[in-house]
Amino acid sequence: MFNTNGRTNKVLFFYLPITLMFMWTIFPIYWTINTAFKHEGDIIKRPLEYLPTSPTVENFVVAWNNVGFATFFKNSLIIGITTVFVVIILSTLSGYALTRYKFKGKGSFLLMLLSTQFIPRAMLIIPLFIIFKNMGLISNPLSLIITYTAVEIPFTTILMSGFISNIPRELEEAAAVDGCSKLQALRFVMFPLLLPGIVATAVFTFIYTWNEFLLALMLTNQQSKFTLPVGLSFMMGEFNVNYGALAAGSVIALVPAVILFAYAQKHLVSGMGGAVKG
Amino acid sequence: MRNLLKISALIMLIAGGILAGCGNGDSGSGSKDGKVKLVFWDENAGPQRTPIWEELIDRFNEENPEIEVEYVGLPKDSAKAKLDTAIAADDMPDVASVQTSWLPEFAIRDALLPLDDYLADSELNDLINAGAVNFNKEIVNDGKLYGIPYTQNLDVIWVRSDWFNDAGVTIPSTWDEFFNAAEEMTGDGHYGYTIRGGAGGSFQLQRLMFAYSGLENYFDEDGKSVINHPKHVEFLEKYIELYGKNTPKSDITNDYKEMIAGFDTGVVAMVHHNIGSYGEHQKAFEADQFEAIPLPKTEDGKYVAEGGNTINVSIFNTTKNADAAWKFTEFINSAESQSYWNEQVGQIPTNSGVLDMDWIKEAQHIKTAFEVYDNPDTVLYQPPFYLPDYRSILDNIVDSGTQKVMSGDSSVQEFLDEWAKAVDASEAKYNEAMKK
Repeated sequence: MFNTNGRTNKVLFFYLPITLMFMWTIFPIYWTINTAFKHEGDIIKRPLEYLPTSPTVENFVVAWNNVGFATFFKNSLIIGITTVFVVIILSTLSGYALTRYKFKGKGSFLLMLLSTQFIPRAMLIIPLFIIFKNMGLISNPLSLIITYTAVEIPFTTILMSGFISNIPRELEEAAAVDGCSKLQALRFVMFPLLLPGIVATAVFTFIYTWNEFLLALMLTNQQSKFTLPVGLSFMMGEFNVNYGALAAGSVIALVPAVILFAYAQKHLVSGMGGAVKG
Repeated sequence: MRNLLKISALIMLIAGGILAGCGNGDSGSGSKDGKVKLVFWDENAGPQRTPIWEELIDRFNEENPEIEVEYVGLPKDSAKAKLDTAIAADDMPDVASVQTSWLPEFAIRDALLPLDDYLADSELNDLINAGAVNFNKEIVNDGKLYGIPYTQNLDVIWVRSDWFNDAGVTIPSTWDEFFNAAEEMTGDGHYGYTIRGGAGGSFQLQRLMFAYSGLENYFDEDGKSVINHPKHVEFLEKYIELYGKNTPKSDITNDYKEMIAGFDTGVVAMVHHNIGSYGEHQKAFEADQFEAIPLPKTEDGKYVAEGGNTINVSIFNTTKNADAAWKFTEFINSAESQSYWNEQVGQIPTNSGVLDMDWIKEAQHIKTAFEVYDNPDTVLYQPPFYLPDYRSILDNIVDSGTQKVMSGDSSVQEFLDEWAKAVDASEAKYNEAMKK
């Protein structure tokens, strides 16, 4: 009954599920983009418009200029990129130490790293605020960069140590025989092999900083220093939601994440599979 | 290796740049270029309200070149948490827009500056709605004034006046007329009324109950909640009776959007909400098709409204420039500024100086609300905002309880007893903590 027609099987068990999953994932994104290009009046109009009849970029202009997305975007970008750099360097080095060295209390150190992930962020807000206030860093992107780095480091360290442990120790030994110092071996031998892992860590960290709302709001007291997620929350009022500008803002916020994934995709796939094979 | 060094140097440079560029993280007041700098926090920022505040601040800065006000907008859902953090860390703004229900807590935490003397010496004293000002004093522990209300809202019933006229039914002003209208206006493919059975229904239900009973206090002489008072039971039994007969069956899960859509798409003839939904109705109807009426009067002819439906300008006591902060507070509450703000947002000013302005005369719903607030017989009852679980009782016990009564799983008496018990328990816990 089911055996002969391979083509039917392929359609039934491959193309159909894939298409359904694709639709499921893509529909909200399509609807957001669709809404972003509609006039305010057309958004809630019945019957629904599946494509904007008279497309407009008005919502983007409102979000970018009136609501201040230009500034929020810049702030998010500075914080995101800097955090990613710091996290990558620190987590590569600490991941390397955790994998390659034996030291007293290594087990409990790892456990401690893991435990930090269980602390609810909301509990940290007031202590963090007081610390940064005393340092004069409230409304300064550095407060967010430091906090995000601290929040991300434990997980990314464990992640990186996993990637590093996949690279045979012999490669470094061979480099040492050829006259490389420890740092040179790390830079010229390990680094290129670790690239997929680094990309995975970078994407993970960037997405977290790009989406984080609570700390970004709490540690900032100046309008011009808010980040994108805080900006998006301005669109939802008590009696009215500015759907057009909200959708336009979401599309703006989506762009860097999409570009990042498009670029990082091939590294991500190989990163998930482990750094070195064979 | 050299590249690694280069990257590190680059990061140092970026970090240095950020530090240099954003040195001033102060949220409080200070002086810059000999100017007094004030920081103002808006508790409900967004594309609608932010430009209004910015315009008012520009006007103020222009009028007062020695003062510079900086605007910081906060998203509505997180504004309270942000202010809580600021108070805990002693890093408050100079001035803020503060909801009335937050005043008792902020007063206990000793965060705000009393404004009684400032107001007494100001020409605003005779202009700002006395009921709202007194209410602000009554709800705080020490009886002082911690916020000058610049806008107020009021629950009203929106009615399809065109349908009422066609059917020859009286637009209700008493509760008997209301129940009668709900019945008479059902038919011809529409219902007389719609009940908010879903999220947020509890707030509206409470206001309707007090408007019917005319009870002026939330607690009786023995300190027990009046929620399960026989008058409230009587009202709710009549009210629930409407469900399914004179209201859509789907009302049991109705929240704001569905309820307003029901009215705006011609499914129901009356809906209870506040004047804030005017903008939605205006999009759907011509001006002569709908109007706002006050919640019906009690048996003895009084309007009863929930107090605290206002937003205030408050000054935090950590400010170093209290006089400048008062100047700004006074400016926002001037007839001109209040008129500008409230006309744009569609709410009711508290400054009686705006009464003569054209837009008030033309806005039927604002005029209706003004009449209720300016009526000397209007009673404002005071909900226990100070109870830490006031909100969660309404959200968790009352919203779901209403649905149980609507579906017939619980009687009105059982439901109101449960609600009253929760309020009493919370009040007892609060009194214990405050050692009353």
